[in-house]
Amino acid sequence: MNEEIIIDVQGLNLWYGENHALHNVTLPVANRKVTALIGPSGCGKSTLIRCFNRMNDLVLGCRVTGDILYHGQNINGPDADPVELRRKIGMVFQKPNPFPKSIYENIAYGPRVHGIKNKRDLDEIVESCLHKAALWEEVKDRLHDSAMSLSGGQQQRLCIARTLAVNPEIILMDEPCSALDPIATSKIEDLIEELKKEYCVIIVTHSMSQASRVSDYTAFMYLGDLIEFGETRQIFENPHKELTENYITGRFG
Amino acid sequence: MTIGQQNPLKFRQKRRPLEITMHTVWFICAISSIIGIFFILIFLLYDAAPAFLDIGLIPFLTGERWDPTSIIPKYGLVPLIVGTLLVTIGAMIFAVPFGIACAIFIAELASPRMRNILKPAVELLAGIPSVVYGFFGLVILVKFLQDLLSVPSGESVLAGSILLGIMSLPTIISVSEDAISSVPRYLKEGSLALGATHWQTISQVIVPAALSGITAAVILGIGRAVGETMAVIMVTGNAAIIPSPIWNILSPVRTLTGTLGIEMGEVAVGSLHYHALFGVAVVLLLITLIINLAALTVMKRLKSSQTGGCSRTGVFSCRMITDRLSGIMPYLPPGLTALLGLFLLLIGLWQGAAGMLILYLIVRLVDRYCIRQTVQKIWFSLVTIMMGIVTLILIFILYDIFSNGLPYVTIDFLTESPRNLGRGGGIFPAIIGTFYLVIGSILIALPLGIGAAIYLVEYTKENILTRFIRTATDLLNGTPSIVFGLFGFTFLVLFLGFGISLLAGMITLALMVLPTVIRTTEEALKSVPDSLREGSYALGATRWQTVRRVVLPPSVPGIITGAILSIGRAAGETAPIMFTAVVFMQRRLPDSFFDPVMALPYHLFILATNVPGARNNQYATAVVLLFLVIMIYGGAIVIRNHYDKKIRW
Repeated sequence: MNEEIIIDVQGLNLWYGENHALHNVTLPVANRKVTALIGPSGCGKSTLIRCFNRMNDLVLGCRVTGDILYHGQNINGPDADPVELRRKIGMVFQKPNPFPKSIYENIAYGPRVHGIKNKRDLDEIVESCLHKAALWEEVKDRLHDSAMSLSGGQQQRLCIARTLAVNPEIILMDEPCSALDPIATSKIEDLIEELKKEYCVIIVTHSMSQASRVSDYTAFMYLGDLIEFGETRQIFENPHKELTENYITGRFG
Repeated sequence: MTIGQQNPLKFRQKRRPLEITMHTVWFICAISSIIGIFFILIFLLYDAAPAFLDIGLIPFLTGERWDPTSIIPKYGLVPLIVGTLLVTIGAMIFAVPFGIACAIFIAELASPRMRNILKPAVELLAGIPSVVYGFFGLVILVKFLQDLLSVPSGESVLAGSILLGIMSLPTIISVSEDAISSVPRYLKEGSLALGATHWQTISQVIVPAALSGITAAVILGIGRAVGETMAVIMVTGNAAIIPSPIWNILSPVRTLTGTLGIEMGEVAVGSLHYHALFGVAVVLLLITLIINLAALTVMKRLKSSQTGGCSRTGVFSCRMITDRLSGIMPYLPPGLTALLGLFLLLIGLWQGAAGMLILYLIVRLVDRYCIRQTVQKIWFSLVTIMMGIVTLILIFILYDIFSNGLPYVTIDFLTESPRNLGRGGGIFPAIIGTFYLVIGSILIALPLGIGAAIYLVEYTKENILTRFIRTATDLLNGTPSIVFGLFGFTFLVLFLGFGISLLAGMITLALMVLPTVIRTTEEALKSVPDSLREGSYALGATRWQTVRRVVLPPSVPGIITGAILSIGRAAGETAPIMFTAVVFMQRRLPDSFFDPVMALPYHLFILATNVPGARNNQYATAVVLLFLVIMIYGGAIVIRNHYDKKIRW
């Protein structure tokens, strides 16, 4: 890997109560690339992605050891502030979770909590983020309608726009298309292609074809272990590990 | 214009004074709930201790006479405990079958439109103040029993049982109905798909699956009956005797709560009698604590069995108990019939016993020889008839009070002071007094309760402290209102020296409604899905920002509903203000927080029990009180239904 490493996971272990969910995971993530995490259900890929912005802090009985270096600084360190961290590392969830507010308010929420009050600035952020999320044309005439009135795919793109509005460096996507139909999925995939020009994207996905379509690097996980990591083409065409090959060729999972 | 242009490395811990302040504020609110129950316990025990020491714990609990005013005072609790037991058992014999039948009707048989009428109606029934029930019991029920059975006085165990049964019906119906409705749909569909009739599905799949919820409902109903004061005072005759023979349901009795309500107002502060009354309160509190803990345990088991988790194994595991319960299910109907028949035989109503026997035989024969569809028809009509009876009782109570009272509710009645011991004049000071009391108690309870709920739901993970606060809240919730009255009297009126005053009444009422506020706010906050919180946190919002901007706005309707229900409760209660805030006759309005006031429920109580010849004004006062409470509850129901329809996640 010749690219700039933006996140470096080193020896990460995670427990949910007694359950040892991640075993000694080590993984570099390149800036302005798409890294996909694949593996069968329960392999820990969602758990891992939630470590990057410390969403696991909200989970009861969750304990983490090991380092995650973000620009060389450990986000699990005692002086790291999860609130500041999350504004640099945004997240899109499995199910679209727009707030029960208007489309405009959904996007303005992030900038507002970070202290932007000027109406003109907010308008500008809302418009540019909706453009970036390829949603502007569809909603520009009804910015003040409830976000709940959008379709599932539109809601998910709204959530992506919402994430962009706080200007993060990294966007985490936890199975962003699992609740969407094929057309909405392809729109999100196109969007990811656009996003990686400016952002680092880490995506968890169930679909191997999706991983091979959108990602530059792929990590295969199995039962809490990171089995293999490499360029996507290499993982899919010439996996080094037998377990990876079995999964890629659909023998289990 | 873009934000976050600073060096990405700068994400070190920031100081956020607002966050810390809010956290502290909510924590203080939460801790107040604990302090409340702690103070109640301490002060009751402190005042009860001399009685336990002087009389001795064993003689106090096992003495067979309660006669504190004779030359040689006797302080024995047995007659009071027996009275409470008899009245409660009687109430349950009436309320359990009717309550479960109504719950089945509402959950399974009623059309959606009918359910939308019946459910709020049941909630309204729960909102009717106990003093109004008591008034109805005194004027109608007692007279009716007197004429029907031709006895000198209808004030008896029977009257108390029927009235308490009616009063605990709403609790039993609504909790059982919740349990039945929350039985997963696939269980019902699975049974129907096997060709079972609807009734077979109800009796063999749905009700057994909802059994722990129904059990909890019955326990909560018992708690309601044990803790009730005003209605019991008005219809049970209040003679501290053990009925002889014990099953003589026409004998007057006196309950634990009744003793407190009657004697507390007349006792010399600091005398042995005074301390003995606090002893009674401690015993009452213990009984209700046990009942409520039992209900909580059953509820918890319900929760764990529904989520599939059951950690314990062995004899006391939930599976074993559920299995045993379903094991005895088939023997329940004949057993209950036999018991009830025996009971009727013992009290000398052999006609009743014979009727029971015939009824039971008919049921068995029908079960044996009719086809399933016919059986279903018979059971459904039975359930419908029972629902009809309950509805008729409610309508009759309302009709009687409104038809007799409305003609006397005039402008003068609402705006004048009472004259001639309340026989003439109006109830203006009582309306204003109730208004002040309610506003004051809500202003105290609402910020504290909402703050405590925010702390419990948003600021902590489950730990010992939250469990402690939750248990304290639940216990506070089940404490009989008369116990709050005693606490208010000893702590606020005497210890803090407020005297019989508006302020003391406000604080006592606030303490009483605090659990309702906490519970409903908690429910409202919990109904906001976690995905919204995650979405907000993932954008880098702090905790307070998330709570204020994402969680609170959609919870507002739920919180308002809770507040309104608390207002209704505070407006209708008599027992907590009886010794802390109210006087019967006071022409002028209170000048300060330290003045006593008049209040509607207390006014009705005194008019009904102590003032002969004030029938018209009694009814008119009842109408005003009932109207007030119905409006308040109706408002809460309308707000809730409106937002239930509107919010979709």
